[in-house]
Amino acid sequence: MDIVRKRLPSGLRVVVAPIAGLRSVAVLLAIEAGQWFEPRGRPGIARLTAQAMLRGTTKHDSRSWADALDGIGAAARLDVGSHAATFSAQSLGADLPTLLAIMSEAVIGPAFVVDEVELVRQQTLAQIEEDARNTRAVAERVWRELVYPVGHPFRARAIGDPEVVRAVTAEDLRSQHHEAIRPKGAVLVIAGGVESAAAVDAAGRAFSGWDGAASDGRAVREVALAGAVRRLEVVPDKTQSDIIIGWPGLPRNDPRFVAARVTNMVFAADTFASRAGHVVRDELGLAYYVFSTIGSSRGQSPWTVRMGVNPTNVERAISVALDELRKILDGKVAPEDLELAQDKLVGELDVARESPGGVASLVLEGEIFDLGPDHLERYPSELRAVTRDQVVETARSFLPPERSAVAIAGPPLPGAA
Amino acid sequence: MYALEARHAPVVSLWVWYHVGGRNEVPGTTGMSHFLEHMLFKGTPGHPKGDLDRLLARYGAMWNAFTSEDVTCYFETVPRERFPVALELEADRMRNALISVEETEAERTVIVSEREGLENDPSFLLGEQLQAVAFSRHPYGQGVIGSKEEIRLMTRDGLYTHYRKHYAPNNAYVVVAGDAAANELLDQAAKAFARLDAEVPVEPAKAPEPPQYGEKRVIVRRAGGALPIIQIAFHSPRATDPRAPALSALSVALAGATAGGGESASGRSSRLYRALIDSGLATDVDATYTLRKDPYLFVVEATLGSGSTHQQVERVILDELARIADQPLEADEFARVRRQLLSASAFMTDTITWRAYRLGEVLATGAATSLAEWYDRLAAVAAEDIRAAAESIFKERSRVVGWFIPEEPA
Repeated sequence: MDIVRKRLPSGLRVVVAPIAGLRSVAVLLAIEAGQWFEPRGRPGIARLTAQAMLRGTTKHDSRSWADALDGIGAAARLDVGSHAATFSAQSLGADLPTLLAIMSEAVIGPAFVVDEVELVRQQTLAQIEEDARNTRAVAERVWRELVYPVGHPFRARAIGDPEVVRAVTAEDLRSQHHEAIRPKGAVLVIAGGVESAAAVDAAGRAFSGWDGAASDGRAVREVALAGAVRRLEVVPDKTQSDIIIGWPGLPRNDPRFVAARVTNMVFAADTFASRAGHVVRDELGLAYYVFSTIGSSRGQSPWTVRMGVNPTNVERAISVALDELRKILDGKVAPEDLELAQDKLVGELDVARESPGGVASLVLEGEIFDLGPDHLERYPSELRAVTRDQVVETARSFLPPERSAVAIAGPPLPGAA
Repeated sequence: MYALEARHAPVVSLWVWYHVGGRNEVPGTTGMSHFLEHMLFKGTPGHPKGDLDRLLARYGAMWNAFTSEDVTCYFETVPRERFPVALELEADRMRNALISVEETEAERTVIVSEREGLENDPSFLLGEQLQAVAFSRHPYGQGVIGSKEEIRLMTRDGLYTHYRKHYAPNNAYVVVAGDAAANELLDQAAKAFARLDAEVPVEPAKAPEPPQYGEKRVIVRRAGGALPIIQIAFHSPRATDPRAPALSALSVALAGATAGGGESASGRSSRLYRALIDSGLATDVDATYTLRKDPYLFVVEATLGSGSTHQQVERVILDELARIADQPLEADEFARVRRQLLSASAFMTDTITWRAYRLGEVLATGAATSLAEWYDRLAAVAAEDIRAAAESIFKERSRVVGWFIPEEPA
């Protein structure tokens, strides 16, 4: 890929990956304003700020801003994750300057009008209420409460704590915006049917008025589970139980992270290619879905295995998944399992290039975590270089079954008191 | 067989579409096509169980399958040099799937688990009931996954008979898009499938839905959801109907081109977003027109906001539908709708996998004979076409209204 990089005077890094033959362009603006950068005791304020940014600016009210975005037929959304608030969008290539101008208005000059903040608050509270009856969301909330202590940025889901959401004011959001929505540390990736110089120019024009130093984030203590913890939360009138087995992960910049990705693939990342999925679904027919993910952030994002199973199969599914993990811990990693995991992770990099969004995502990870300008060239060989011993060692360091957290949400379990 | 050149990434996407789905089932065997879809991953004599999964995983492939009311579809997007393997796998399982008794039993619990996962979602529960009430004769009323009871009754022999009847070259479309000349892709695909014999042609399912003569209503009460939901469906024309492009545009005018929940910023200028979300009456709204072989449903769905009632939200939706059926969109609003419609089409076809999917969809449903034709038909939609399409379907007598009413746990 012919990637062009430019750092704007504000510190915003602009990265363009042109792809010949495409009509559209994907844009990812990642700002270091995710959960990791939320003030202590205010879970949810990052997402509320992001959502309120989409409801009117100092130049255009909510309706006319939405008219402008739909007027170029763009698709756009703003998500808050554990590390970044990511504004992702797609437009026709010719509309890129307009799209960037619309996005920059929301980023630089949101109005935080009281009525609009109230609307965002009500929508958020409704979503929290809905999530209270959603087994996957309940399992996620319970699992985080088991693993992360009070005050940790990852203890709550990004949607936050209802008390925080109820209490927040427009002024709070303005203040959070001022503190966290900064160009320094932010990365703007543009991939697709554009010419590099024109895209860089358009980005420079759109974001020229954005300034402010990066927020430092706060000091966060390392998390470690002292023993195995487990909690069932009954969600009434449901048919299936959702299970999360997990551990606090490791920062994306940790040198062991690439080995962790390979370990994750060997263990459970893919329902079909990984060991846990193969046994739980294919051999035993216990679950329709079983997969694991490892989060990327500056901190210990969740490293979790997720399954949806009938309540009668909960104990067996957990036990079987952990048995597969124990085999890895015992060093039973067949060369073909490791090779399969590596092939899959490397092959996925090629397949991801089929879309402008896929290319933008590949580029973004390397940029936001400062993995080096040659990250994409090095990454396949780094994956291939992971050894069996590293997989075993990574699993022993980060996935000890005797210090795991298991959350279950769904109907009462058979035999449970 | 159809092929499209897409040179921007070193991959090829292969899709095989079979003309078999929920429409080909009768009571007692509903869910059979979907069950069969699962069994196509359980091995052939040439590729025992697990072979396909491992090979595709090894290539980093993106692959999956789905079953709808009309079709069953399998796809894999692979690095360009692996295209011959993908072709070989698909040609092999078109006629040689084993479907053993043991694997049927092992997969049955997986499918029950899939069904149970869906049952956790109130929107699915309501939608399933709404669909069942909407169709009194046509098998579209049966849905796709089947009831848990029927999944438990499915036999290996029944599945195998269904397989042999419907899985043959003369009952399938093969669509390829990727990094090679179209004729080269086509030649490779033709060679892979050429050795397969045709089967006795399958008679298309014929169970025309008689006209509906008045509104139908359905209520689902369950504790398994926190927020009330409303779904309003109207009988709508098939994909080959001249109104199909205008109905696609109508769904954009009502709720935008891209769904995305609360985090989405697009589609907020749409009629129903403004009437329901901006006003706080609802937290989520969508409008869907689906390309189907036979007349199907245009569905509006909203999740109610705190303090709203079903009656209120239903009234607002029906008022908006009446308004759009009464007056054509103003020029600026129409321009926004048109841009969203056409841009969404470009976004989809800029991804090689979805370019192939989209072509297969318009071909399999009969909506168009090429992507370019479908795009041109969307581009030709005028404001008056949208109004006229709305007027033709938004009628009280062909309406089905569903309410999901959450209850307090016992």
